[in-house]
Amino acid sequence: MELRASRIPGVVSLAQGVPSFDTPEPIKRRAIEAIEQGKVAKYSLSPGILEFRETIAHYLEKENKFFDFETEIIATAGSIEAITATLLAILEPGDEVLIPDPTYTSYQSAIKVARGTPIFVPLDEEKGWAFDIDKFEKLITPRTRAFLFCNPNNPTGTIFSRNQLHALAQLAIKHNLYIFSDEVYKDFVFEDNGGSTSTGRSNLPLYSLAELRGIRDRLIYIFSFSKAYAMTGWRIAYLATHQELAKKILAVHDALVTCAPVVSQYAALAALEMADSELAKYHQIYKKRRDLICRRLDKLTKVFSYQKPDSAYFVFPRIKDEYLKKISTDGGSWQFAIELLEKARVATVPGAAFGPSGENHIRMCFGRSEEDINLAFDRMEKYFS
Amino acid sequence: MKKFLKSFIQYYLKLLTKLVLWRHKPFIVAIAGSTGKTTVKEYILKFLREKHGEEEVRGNPKSYNTEIGLPLAILYLDSGESSAAKWIKVLVQAKMRALFGRKFPEKLVLELGVEEKGDMKKLLEMVRPNVAIITNVEGSYTYSNSSLEIIQNELRQLVSEIPEGGYIVLNNDDERVRELKGSAKGKVITYGFEEGADARATDSKTDAEGQTFNFSFQGKSEPVRIKKYGRHFVYAWIIAKVVKSIL
Repeated sequence: MELRASRIPGVVSLAQGVPSFDTPEPIKRRAIEAIEQGKVAKYSLSPGILEFRETIAHYLEKENKFFDFETEIIATAGSIEAITATLLAILEPGDEVLIPDPTYTSYQSAIKVARGTPIFVPLDEEKGWAFDIDKFEKLITPRTRAFLFCNPNNPTGTIFSRNQLHALAQLAIKHNLYIFSDEVYKDFVFEDNGGSTSTGRSNLPLYSLAELRGIRDRLIYIFSFSKAYAMTGWRIAYLATHQELAKKILAVHDALVTCAPVVSQYAALAALEMADSELAKYHQIYKKRRDLICRRLDKLTKVFSYQKPDSAYFVFPRIKDEYLKKISTDGGSWQFAIELLEKARVATVPGAAFGPSGENHIRMCFGRSEEDINLAFDRMEKYFS
Repeated sequence: MKKFLKSFIQYYLKLLTKLVLWRHKPFIVAIAGSTGKTTVKEYILKFLREKHGEEEVRGNPKSYNTEIGLPLAILYLDSGESSAAKWIKVLVQAKMRALFGRKFPEKLVLELGVEEKGDMKKLLEMVRPNVAIITNVEGSYTYSNSSLEIIQNELRQLVSEIPEGGYIVLNNDDERVRELKGSAKGKVITYGFEEGADARATDSKTDAEGQTFNFSFQGKSEPVRIKKYGRHFVYAWIIAKVVKSIL
């Protein structure tokens, strides 16, 4: 959709999930220093520079997640490399990986690259896009190797509860499965009556399965710096997992990229050490934009119904049948999104891209500026009127 | 201009740091090495505070351990980051604390960060440690042995700086660290998993709750459980136990 949008002049995009900010100054400064000190020209050790991994471990410890930086943490070229390398390490051709439906589109391709089969497990829209554990269990077969999900979820902005996650962990133990917990949006959790802590982290509890010691031998925790610190172009993330699995993943990671970009490792190190205030600022801004996009959606209730997202920077409204049929002759979200792009010059992502349950929805990103959000909704209001 | 300001801040803070240390004469435990410094510091602080009380022991906040960071740690101040106004405030506070501050801990546990040739000399111009702990000499890059020799030589300076009555705690499992024994005037205590360490961990195991090991030192032995993962936590626990026995 982004590619199609780029060919139409004057399009305002709420499509791509990219922050509207530039990378914070302290991060850029540290990267420049590292370049000037001659630290970035060589390969780092394959799992990453020691200082970076040690800082990650200290940071995780504050979140009640305990990993050995020497043997259990690997810096990767973005979270998708972490996911793909892990899938390549654990899957045999034809193995199945359960993913929520709807969820991040690239999971499907990563599983296919690893010659696996993605199996969608529908989330329960009526219960705020929650996991339905029974559905998960029913879809487990002898070929199932893993659950892969992001928490908070993209595109729904849902936070999975502690109870749901514990039930998932029990299933993983029972059926001997791996769990991928991709927590790229963990720093953007909103609450409506409080706000964030001074470090930018929400007071809303975001429980992570990485806190559960009993499954550390089957859990792969993934975090990317792309969204939290406006660093999508730096391609830097990390994974943390039990040392036995880490060894297998490291062999694939080494074959794929040798090491994560060294300059980006230094930049991400600075993010962890120095960018708390920027994170807090982004959190406040996203919360404001979330409220803005919801207010604007409230004026379009004839076209959309939606659930206010608790987190991340996406809203995933359902397109009402009447408008879907009127605008999209084949009744699908792809056609609807294309019409919206071509007639209203607003780019969104069709819900079907995130899985079959995403059909009849579109994803709008409020990582974009307030001006973009307002302009997009001005155009949509005009178009739908 | 920026370079001049940085040099001025470094010079001024160094001066005030020397002054405050001369006035209060704390017992200084210095931790250096490639990795594990913060974990070691945290364990030592925990163990020493249990023994001597919260007020009497202080460590580097936020792992401030460089030529500018170390004075801030000793004077217990935050960095001015890239703000000139903040730095002016820091310098004023530093002066007040150095000249007039009455409360100062009896023991300082300080990380010393060295990356390049000459770093240790600059740090040792400010502090005279009574105890030196060397964690390891490890590199973050492939094919970088020459830079490891530089780091080893920097650490050698710290080891040789410890006077006869002082202690040097060395990682017996790291060959480059073990070699530093030859440069010591003070009493050397080695630690590690391998045979020959004065303070040694054996029978190390990992489970869902963390790690267990058997700790032997000065003819005594005890089973230990820690709730974290990685050998650096075992090292940190052992070092803290050794330092507690010294102090």
